[in-house]
Amino acid sequence: MMRLTCPFCGARELHEFQFHKTAPEPGANPFAAVYERVNRTDISQEYWQHLHGCRAWLYVSRNPSTGEVYQVHLLGTQS
Amino acid sequence: MSVRAPRYSAWSLLRGRFSGPGFWRPLWSGRQLQKAYDVVVVGAGGHGLATAYHLARDHGVRRVAVLEKRLVGYGNVGRNTTIVRSNYLLPQNHYFYEDALRRWETLSRDLNYNVMYSPRGVLDLALSDGEMVSLARRGNAMRLAGIDAELMDRAGVMKFAKELVPAGTRRFDIVGGLLQQRGGTVRHDAVAWGYARAASALGVDIIEDCEVTGLVTTAGVATGVETSQGPVAAGQVVFAVAGHTGAIGTMLGVPLPVETHLLQAMVTEPIKPLINSVLIYVHPHGEVYILQSDRGGVVMGGFLDGFPSYTREGRWSRLEDVVQSAVALLPQIAGLRVLRHWAGTNDMTMDGSFIIDRIRYDNVFLNGGWCYGGFKSIPASGAACAQFVATGTAPDLIRAHTLSRFASGHLLDERGGGPFPVRL
Ligand SMILES: Cc1cc2nc3c(=O)[nH]c(=O)nc-3n(C[C@H](O)[C@H](O)[C@H](O)COP(=O)(O)OP(=O)(O)OC[C@H]3O[C@@H](n4cnc5c(N)ncnc54)[C@H](O)[C@@H]3O)c2cc1C
Ligand SMILES: [Zn+2]
Repeated sequence: MMRLTCPFCGARELHEFQFHKTAPEPGANPFAAVYERVNRTDISQEYWQHLHGCRAWLYVSRNPSTGEVYQVHLLGTQS
Repeated sequence: MSVRAPRYSAWSLLRGRFSGPGFWRPLWSGRQLQKAYDVVVVGAGGHGLATAYHLARDHGVRRVAVLEKRLVGYGNVGRNTTIVRSNYLLPQNHYFYEDALRRWETLSRDLNYNVMYSPRGVLDLALSDGEMVSLARRGNAMRLAGIDAELMDRAGVMKFAKELVPAGTRRFDIVGGLLQQRGGTVRHDAVAWGYARAASALGVDIIEDCEVTGLVTTAGVATGVETSQGPVAAGQVVFAVAGHTGAIGTMLGVPLPVETHLLQAMVTEPIKPLINSVLIYVHPHGEVYILQSDRGGVVMGGFLDGFPSYTREGRWSRLEDVVQSAVALLPQIAGLRVLRHWAGTNDMTMDGSFIIDRIRYDNVFLNGGWCYGGFKSIPASGAACAQFVATGTAPDLIRAHTLSRFASGHLLDERGGGPFPVRL
């Protein structure tokens, strides 16, 4: 995994982006949303920010065991 | 049934030299997986092997198995940068790491295996007055606990670490440092092999190529584990899987305050002795630590890659970052070639401190959340975890390291960074 494709800026080097955390399960209580993480080895759904780019918040789904990136969306527009 | 391993000594080395093939035996015996054990330990990293060793040695637990998905030493125990130290700020952490450091001092004798503990000194550098203040705070906390710590000004640092000369070539000059002289390095492979050998000699079964895929329970009590080699009954189960701690939580249906991040390290071609201690510099955007291996290679590492990954493939920009930081401190090494670089999976907790506690079931234990600092803790963790499992009561040294501390607000946030392993 060397690059992410920002919906606004296109494919950009990984160091422009900052990982924030894995997206909490729907309906997670406030404690879980802050402290617990979803630890799946096959798919990881995450909040990222294109921090050193357009600064958009992104929703990224990836395979953390292979590095393959499935989807990058503007946060809130993921299906 | 214990298999007597020959004791190592200068005499046995000599005998080995003049004996035929077959004198040197495998370090641990290739025993077969049995149907049932008193304690099954999952993961043959440092923590799993040390826990099994202490269960057998200190508590007389007869039937102990360590089940390992890959090979002994394949995980982080064989991938780390070998630094040991006890220079932590919080009492709950520094007393524990100090216990570990004292055990490192005598471990070669205890295991009858040379783990090459080298108290060459760990020197944290400050390049600004603010950094100096925070080092002084940490050093004072350590000294109050009776742990050696020496605050040095610029002249002191330059005298101790002569390789940091020539000055004036750095953009930010060195202001001072905090030295822990008893800190240093320990040969990581030897730790895995030494514990495996000693545990095996006490009758512990070390089973490689055996992945634990599930927990078997009856009426709210764990009765064994499912493995790639079939089911195994167990009186108690200890998970010591380091980078796969989060995945074990998912397997047990317990979401954990853990994220798995890669950490990289690298080593250069060997050179003559240059760096006599371990140099560490933590800056607002990352960190770098540098030491020279006994073979002469310059070993360097830095901060996490920064996102969940199990690939063990490091991220390029982090490698660049570490090299740039290292060269800024030691311009002399700029021309060296990097021979190898690698990565390991680290179980980062939301406060940066480890967890040894029961998980979901009364007879299932979690030994994890070691973050990027779990090598130095191995001897203390093995002893404490074994005591917890054997007696049912957590020893004082790990009483604060519960899983429930996150919900109750008793965090052990060494860094003061909040519930994120990475903030850059
Ligand atoms: C590059 C790097 C540098 C580091 N530098 C330092 C340092 O200088 N000082 C320091 O103190 N710490 C350091 N660390 C951290 C330290 O290495 C780890 O915290 C520590 O080794 C983790 O504990 P362990 O040895 O038990 O883990 P591991 O050796 O990773 O053991 C866990 C084992 O569990 C096995 N396993 C996982 N899942 C299963 C399953 N389902 N069934 C069976 N087996 C399973 C794995 O295969 C693995 O062998 C570093 C880490 C890295 C990656
Ligand atoms: Zn963008």
